Amino acid sequence: MSRQLMIASLVAGASLIALAGCSKPTPATKAAAGSTAASAEAGAYLPDPNRKHPERVLWGDEHVHTGWSVDAGVSGTTLTPEDAVRFVRGETVKNNRGEPTKLHRPLDWVAVTDHSDGMGTIGELKAGNPDFLANPTTKRWYEMMRQGPEQATAATLELVRAQATRTMPPVIMDEKWVKAAWQKTVDVMEKYNEPGKFTAFIAYEWTSNALTGENLHRNVIFRDNADKTRSLSPLTTWVSGDPATLWAWLANYEKTTGGHVLAIPHNGNLSNGRMFEEQQYDGQPLTPEWAASRARWEPLFELFQYKGQSEANPRLSPTDEFANYELWDTANLAGRAKTPGMINTEYAREALKSGMRLQGKLGTNPFKIGAAGGTDTHTGLAAAEEDNFGGKLASSEPHAGRWNQLFAKEATYVRKDWTLSAAGYTGVWATANTREALWDAMKRRETYATTGPRMTVRFFGGYDFTNADVKGLVANGYAKGVPMGGDLKAAAAGKVPTFLFAAMKDSIGANLDRVQVVKGWVDAAGKTHESILNVGWSDTANRKLTAGKLPPVGNTVDIKTATYKNSIGAPELVGWFKDPSFDPKQRAFYYLRVLEIPTPRWTAYDAVKYGDKMSADVPMVGQERAVTSAIWYNPA
Amino acid sequence: MSLKQVLREPLAQFVLVGLLLFLLHGWVGPADEAGKRIVVSQARVDDMAREYRAQLGGSPTPDELKGLVDTYVHDEILYREGMAQGLGRDDPVIRRRVLQKYEIILEEKSGQGAASDADLSAYLKAHPADFERPSSVTFDQVFFDASGSPADVERRFEAARRAAERGADPATLGQDSLLPRHVETTSLDRVAQDFGPTFAKGVAEAPVSQWTGPLASSYGAHLVRVTARAPPSLPPLDEVRAAVARDWEGDRRRRALAANYDKLRGDYDVAVKARLTPQLATR
Repeated sequence: MSRQLMIASLVAGASLIALAGCSKPTPATKAAAGSTAASAEAGAYLPDPNRKHPERVLWGDEHVHTGWSVDAGVSGTTLTPEDAVRFVRGETVKNNRGEPTKLHRPLDWVAVTDHSDGMGTIGELKAGNPDFLANPTTKRWYEMMRQGPEQATAATLELVRAQATRTMPPVIMDEKWVKAAWQKTVDVMEKYNEPGKFTAFIAYEWTSNALTGENLHRNVIFRDNADKTRSLSPLTTWVSGDPATLWAWLANYEKTTGGHVLAIPHNGNLSNGRMFEEQQYDGQPLTPEWAASRARWEPLFELFQYKGQSEANPRLSPTDEFANYELWDTANLAGRAKTPGMINTEYAREALKSGMRLQGKLGTNPFKIGAAGGTDTHTGLAAAEEDNFGGKLASSEPHAGRWNQLFAKEATYVRKDWTLSAAGYTGVWATANTREALWDAMKRRETYATTGPRMTVRFFGGYDFTNADVKGLVANGYAKGVPMGGDLKAAAAGKVPTFLFAAMKDSIGANLDRVQVVKGWVDAAGKTHESILNVGWSDTANRKLTAGKLPPVGNTVDIKTATYKNSIGAPELVGWFKDPSFDPKQRAFYYLRVLEIPTPRWTAYDAVKYGDKMSADVPMVGQERAVTSAIWYNPA
Repeated sequence: MSLKQVLREPLAQFVLVGLLLFLLHGWVGPADEAGKRIVVSQARVDDMAREYRAQLGGSPTPDELKGLVDTYVHDEILYREGMAQGLGRDDPVIRRRVLQKYEIILEEKSGQGAASDADLSAYLKAHPADFERPSSVTFDQVFFDASGSPADVERRFEAARRAAERGADPATLGQDSLLPRHVETTSLDRVAQDFGPTFAKGVAEAPVSQWTGPLASSYGAHLVRVTARAPPSLPPLDEVRAAVARDWEGDRRRRALAANYDKLRGDYDVAVKARLTPQLATR
């Protein structure tokens, strides 16, 4: 059996020998421990040293669409924001096909993020409002919606493309619908928000698709209540798809109301190179002001969701054995094929690197992004559990044969529903379950994203951690370092960043395979690099590092029954590590990735439940994971 | 698509109520729809004038007003003839509209007045499971991972149990983990989420004020001392008033619609003369 408490000196020692062959961990002296060089970033959200530290991770979905989102409504979703909130609170809700459905466990919080573009119009269209039947395009959509799920899905794609290509019928762009729907949404969130118990954020999605379907979407999440938000009109993209117009709108909101708001971009993987492009929206060069705005308003980025992951891509990280996971890297949202080079500016890991490079030129790191996960469900149901996957649209809600339905006919790929990923929750280390405390934790990036399982993950960086700090890890972590999302200031002479980590499996889920630290840095020539260090793993008696790599953990999945056994892996992986190749002059980030042992994918559960015979290219097993916000090292 | 689902969309309700008022306004005027006689009342003409002013500013001239009346008469005649031929019957838009209006009227009727305290108290009593404070428990736990042989785990566990019973500080026993060593007045649901359902069940049944175990969790074995346990309790109305009022309102709406339907359904004789298996199987 494995030893769950990973003794860090072994681990770090192995890494040191393998990768650098330099120092042994230095025991912290009393003087060094008293004069920690680690400190949080200065600014408006400087943590109070006396502040209560978060004790419990709070789970939620920052990305939920209901039937009030125009594309969801057209494709057959009738569930409302109220249904969405009731579902994540753990109630049984009938899905859009009329089947009662329930999460295994409730979530602690949710952000319902219906698209501002066309928000609320779909109820009108469905009801055959004469305003909508007067327009030939909306009339055609109305008729398609009534001809069954396939036609409804086709109408949805037409609509998404019309939005993306700015050919939306004027009636959908009429602001009166948005405003009415927004106020109703705010009222529902107020009704269900119970400080201390359950948080319903006031939120919407700003859905810029540039001009031809490049996904530049942002979820806008308010810290505030109805008094500040109810009277506003959510920003649409009818005037401009430039994210800078959103940032100006957010700034104006804070200025005029005294409130607080942030934005979470998502699906860089579908942006055809535009999510982290190194120019402004209109092609102008980046400026220090642009970088400062982006950094201010966008502290998080959505890594996992139903339409694929945006953490890392194997073509960018060829040495990463786990990057080839739930990829959607063939096209943009409108199905336009990618051309070479586009993926360079779509994924979080690359952005974390390029952001530090840009920081050298612009003064601010524009891509200082923490980790978020959201389903992006368009059914109103945030159901990212593999054995209880709710589907992306009403047409992909659970039923026999859903795996083989067409999702989109892209230019170079026929995308079927089996490619959907049952993924996307965010764990937030907040001091209380309230809008304010959760939002503050998001703003300081004390968050991690998972593909669905709820593993508990801690990560601290500092200069004085030793193996002895593993006992009482959380208290020591906060006392002597910074948590995930924080900053390490320039190292004093001879100091090297040290880290504490702990990962505990989901209490009803699979054991853990390993914990990795992903490090990225910028060298003196401005070139970026990454390395992946295995710092904790199960079955250390039999699994030894060879040139930094570990043998696979094994696989207990029985596809015929869609089951697995926790006879491999470890329930908990805890330890300490020291950067084996630290250069105090180089900017660097460190984030944690925690991998579960292999478990059945939702397609395997479907195959058993419905007797579906799926084709050989459909994955049946996956290693689910958590990815934390980074800790950044900032040289003097 | 289910009509109820549409009606649950508050926006749809809002717009439809407006539309309904508008349409009612138009339909209440003319009398004697059965025969071929159309009476254009002063009230109707005044309305036309008012609407004209609202849309175009300024009052209509007598000629313009006559034009409005002619248009109204023209539309009314064609409308009546069309309805007489049953053109409204199979039109899904009209069908849906009429259904919606009918249900909205019912909902409006059922939604009169706020709930009284008596209503809410009764609702709270009738739905205790929705509002009760769940069973809670306070306990200390000492963790042992499953590494080593079962005999070894047993040996470590028993040593810790003896130490704890002699009064040793439990914080010095067992192994560190991310699980809290002390859990204070926490619901059993929460304990199940954090430690796994088997452990929660064990804690719910463990004797109070003595070290017990091993209790298995999702992570390993635990030496446990429960110090307090509270059964589920129904909070006083004042503490859950908002939640009860929210559910009471939703319940009233659903019941009113369902009761009305049941009553109507009783008056109808329905014969389904068709097979209820889909012609096209999905696979």
